[in-house]
This record gives sequence, structure tokens and C-alpha cells, in this order.
Amino acid sequence: MTVHEYPARRRRVWWLRNRRYLAFQLREAGGVVCALYGLILLNMLIQLRDGESAYAAFLNLLRTPPMLYLNVVLFALVLWHALTWFMLIGKAQPIQFTRQPLPWKVVFGINVLLWIGVSGAVVYLIFGGM
Amino acid sequence: MADSEVVFRVSRYRPESGGRPTFQEYRIPYRSDMVVLDGLNYIKDHLDPTLTFRWSCRMGICGSCGADVNGRPRLTCGTYIRDMRKGAVTVEPLSNFPILKDLVVDFDDFLDKLASVRPYIVRKDWGDLSKEYTQYPEDVDAYRQQSLCINCMLCYAACPVFGASPEFVGPAASALALRYIRDTRDDGAAERLARLNTKTGIWECTFVGECSVVCPKEVDPAAAIQTLKFLATTRHMRRLLMPGSASR
Repeated sequence: MTVHEYPARRRRVWWLRNRRYLAFQLREAGGVVCALYGLILLNMLIQLRDGESAYAAFLNLLRTPPMLYLNVVLFALVLWHALTWFMLIGKAQPIQFTRQPLPWKVVFGINVLLWIGVSGAVVYLIFGGM
Repeated sequence: MADSEVVFRVSRYRPESGGRPTFQEYRIPYRSDMVVLDGLNYIKDHLDPTLTFRWSCRMGICGSCGADVNGRPRLTCGTYIRDMRKGAVTVEPLSNFPILKDLVVDFDDFLDKLASVRPYIVRKDWGDLSKEYTQYPEDVDAYRQQSLCINCMLCYAACPVFGASPEFVGPAASALALRYIRDTRDDGAAERLARLNTKTGIWECTFVGECSVVCPKEVDPAAAIQTLKFLATTRHMRRLLMPGSASR
């Protein structure tokens, strides 16, 4: 008698099986979006090099509703990407000053505070003189 | 459905006829202290002796009775029916493994991977076997968590990376490798890291983290893999920057 083994098959929409899988997929998508946002900034520099009118035209394009909506989505995904990685830092490599490693929530909190501090400094450097 | 009954939807696969797995429903008497494995055993004993599944200890130690219960990998002996959502209890074989029959999966591949990381104490020289190799509590603490692994393979069923790349060494084998690397009596770290520091080793892991969520023994294989990445990287850098070092 021939015995057939049923092959292993991953479900096509495995990432919809639970919230954690979905959160992971969004984190990974956030990585792609970070690169995409980098390209937008790079293009901005190219337009700046090409002169005032080119730069102004690009800024006007960025102010159009579709681009604003796109930026909101990109920003949300970049935010999600950053926050979820901060959550993983303490789990990926336990920070150990004492016998027991620091709880991941403490490491997450410290990273978020540092992030806010650095972002605040950058904003001050750019807009502080205005 | 009466409160005294529960419906089990069990995945059936008949290897002699092939085809796709199908679901079969059974109504069984329910008590609040029943676990899913009790339900499967009731079906086997009273309703359908052809239903095939693995089990042994009934106390979460042997790791034999893993299955996807309502879509999540669990030990059926440790999953109370009362904790399931109301409605049918759906039992399927562990995801990501080939199915041999009904709920029984083929885990030969897992055993090969486990053997590849040498999950036992490796010594260059066994020396005097009549003397003790002392272990202090802090020595044991270093690997206690990983030593709790019971090879139930729930972590493999939860790992989408293993599902996509079956050649990935996987969570449990990695966690057990770390368990022995951290053992002060062991000399096999270099061999294990050489196996794990490969494309099909720890670097396949993208840190989904679901392996640690479903682990019934709180082994945390995801963290173990990240620690192994750190160990493999520092070892590689040491060899690169200090080629003459003794640890080479």
C-alpha cells in the first residue's frame, strides 16, 4: 500500500492568524517605508541642487493632498517601526548591570525618552532660531 | 449544543488515500476539568478508534501531544477546554510539518537539526571520570531557562520563517545549542557556533518572537537566538581582528 505524506504548507495569509504576526509584518513593512522616505529626502536634495524653482515645485508637490496623505501613512509606519524595535532591544540583547537583566519595558522606556530628547534637540537646531 | 457537550472539529488525513486533510466533527461529553487531550482520548476510546494522535505523559513533560488548537500551537494535555472560546474546539496537526496521519506529523527533519547542534556535553578531554565536575547554582542559572525545552516543536509550528524556509535550523535546536554553550563543563561552543553561524542557521531568524509566546516552558527561544547572534558575531570579529588569539 502506498502511503502519502501530506506536505507542509504555510498558509498564504499566515500573518492574519493573530495580532502579533500582523504587528511583525507591519514592522517589516515599516523598514521598506523608511527606505522610501529616504528616497523622498534624497530627491529633495537633488531638487535643491537644481535650483530654486525646481525646489519650490517639489515643495508644492509635497503639499498636495495625495502627498500629504501618503506622508501620514509613511510617518505612521516609520513610527511603528521605531517603537517596535525599541520594544525588541531589551529582548534581543538583555541589558545587564545587575545579576538580573533589566526588564524590557525599562529598556523600551529609556530608549523612547532618549528618542524624544534627540528629536527635540534636532527640532530646536532646525527651528530654534526662528 | 448542551452545556454538557462540546464539539470537537478534528483534522483528518488518510495517508492511504492521499488528498487534502478534511475536518470531522465529534460531540463529546464535557466536564470543566477536561483538557483537549481528554477529548481526543474520549473520541478514540468511544467514538472513532481510527483517529490518530501522539501523547504520552499527560503532564506537559514529554512534549508529544502538541497540536494547533483553535489556530494556536499548544500542548493538548495542558489546554483546558473551558479556556477555549465558546463553540467548537478545532484541533489540527502542528503547522509547518508534513502530516503522516490525522494529527501526527513527521518530525525527522527536526531531529536531524537537533542532532546537528550536538545537544549534549562535548568535551575535548574527559579526563578523570571518577571526579566530580562541580556546578555551582550560578553555573546552572546560566542555562536553566534553555534546559527546560521539551522538544515539543510548538515553536516550529509558530515560526513563519521555518514555514517559508524549512532548512532554517529553528528555535528549539538553537535554544538547546545555547543551553550547552553556556554549560561550564562543555567545550563544544566553537562547533555549534560554526553550524549556527550560517545562512540556514540563526541568521534566518527575523525575530517574529512567536516561538517564545507559544513555548509552554518559557524557554524564550527568540532571545536565545539573538544571544547566539551576538556570540557568533563577537567570535567572528575576534578571529578577524586577533587571528592569533587563543580562542581561535
